[in-house]
Amino acid sequence: MFNIIQVTMKGIFRDRIFQSIMALGGLFLFVPSVASLSMRQVSELSVTLCLSIISFILLLLSVFLGATSLWKDIDRRYTFSVLSLPVSRSYYLLGRFLGLSLFLIFTSILLGGMACVVIKISSTLYQSPAGQPLVWWYIVAAIIFSTLQYILIIAVAFLFSSVSTSFFLPVFGTICVYFASSVTQQVYEFVKSPAAVKMVAPVAKFGAIVVYYIMPNLSGFDLKVNAIYSVSPDIKGLLITLLYFFVYTSILLGGAAFLFGRREMK
Amino acid sequence: MMSTKPSIAPILVGVICYALILGPFVSYMSKKPIEEKLGYVPSLKVIRAMSADQKELTAASLVMKVLMYFGGLVPKEPRTTMKTESPDLLGMSRLLHGAVQLDPYNVDAYYFAQSFLTWDAKQFKIANELLDYGMKYRTWDWYLPFFAGFNSAYFLKDYPKAATYYKRAGELSGQDLHKSLASRYMQESGRTDLAIAYLTVIEKGERNQSIKKDYQIRLAAFYEVKRIEIARDRFMAEHGGLPISVEQLVQLGLLAPAPADPYGGRFYLEPSGKVATTSKFAFATKNK
Repeated sequence: MFNIIQVTMKGIFRDRIFQSIMALGGLFLFVPSVASLSMRQVSELSVTLCLSIISFILLLLSVFLGATSLWKDIDRRYTFSVLSLPVSRSYYLLGRFLGLSLFLIFTSILLGGMACVVIKISSTLYQSPAGQPLVWWYIVAAIIFSTLQYILIIAVAFLFSSVSTSFFLPVFGTICVYFASSVTQQVYEFVKSPAAVKMVAPVAKFGAIVVYYIMPNLSGFDLKVNAIYSVSPDIKGLLITLLYFFVYTSILLGGAAFLFGRREMK
Repeated sequence: MMSTKPSIAPILVGVICYALILGPFVSYMSKKPIEEKLGYVPSLKVIRAMSADQKELTAASLVMKVLMYFGGLVPKEPRTTMKTESPDLLGMSRLLHGAVQLDPYNVDAYYFAQSFLTWDAKQFKIANELLDYGMKYRTWDWYLPFFAGFNSAYFLKDYPKAATYYKRAGELSGQDLHKSLASRYMQESGRTDLAIAYLTVIEKGERNQSIKKDYQIRLAAFYEVKRIEIARDRFMAEHGGLPISVEQLVQLGLLAPAPADPYGGRFYLEPSGKVATTSKFAFATKNK
């Protein structure tokens, strides 16, 4: 499996998608000048911009690399040569997933380091007398949880890839799941609110709750507000989110391995 | 046989056409109506769903849009003081209210909205409602209660409310000015007991001797006010009406010794019976 992880990492570094997406990292250069346009929250705006850039790059990487990795192997018939070796399909899939996840972690560390330098520079421009001082630990936590979120998205892409014969379903399916998973918490809170009693039909309410439990809940991974405004996160909540990540990702990978194992390859 | 070498001529033609159309296009864009420049913002529910985990960025971009728009109205000629066109205050308010719904921590939105909502749009209550909303989230920020306190006192003449806001601002910032303003508005609103209690606590906690002295003077003035209020209430209980003046209370023996304003002013009774002083609880400044 280690070999598969290694091959996956090497493949990504050579991939043009990776190179073009990483060029977006150049956006960091503009952060201090854009943040200086703010009236009272220069360092807060620089954290917002940096975390958004990281999040955006990780989203693109997880969707495009996650959704095309398996599909490319099958399309180019690499899978046949790999699976002719004494490697099970599940191990192959898991190796690919871990390779991509490791790569995403590596990218986060790189981008996170760049972001910290940019934020440090921006924070010297102006510090509001009524603002909260930057808490670096919160910024690091936000980047870690953002990375976990996109590793989960890779697992979603793998689930779609395990059954799809083209890259359309993995790419667009993952994008749809990403958007839907970002709002399930709000929808759930709305249907549970007293205002929804008259506005939402019981069937629709039941459907929304079922979808809420089935779909991944990405809201828990969003610690941007904590990082930007130095609002203390709930440690217990973070641990539960971490547990949620491991359990949900395992289920997705289990499902992907099961479907990939039963898939007919011609 | 025809040459397959690519020609640069089409690109040059394209660049020339672009240069020709650029001038009229820029002119058209700068003359666009205000509503079109500020843009239409779709429903917040749609924005929230579409912005996924980028709500803070979306909010910041909405604020930036308003700032850029407003900044664009300021005339470029330094001698001119009038704006070239009146700003779309309603549109600006709509966008900034949307921004704080997406990111209730964005201080730029509160700061700028309260500024133009009060001075330009004269929407004082809306401004304070927005600041109240922000205070629920930015619990450490003394700017918001400070702004709300000012709006309440200066624009709305709601002194009890102003005192409450300044008290909060003083607690958060530790700044003496806010504490002093809070006590002043408490007294102004007829809650002298509260003002005395509040000032006593902060006077005890003050380590700077000159500021401590300042609190003590104010406290002494409020104690005098309280004495006059007690005498006034006794007069009302005995005579069933308001006294004519503070001097009448002294003459009747209800107020002894005669009250002295440490700020050098003279106490008097307003037609409503409220105790006031000609010093307005501040030392007179000498005119040079």
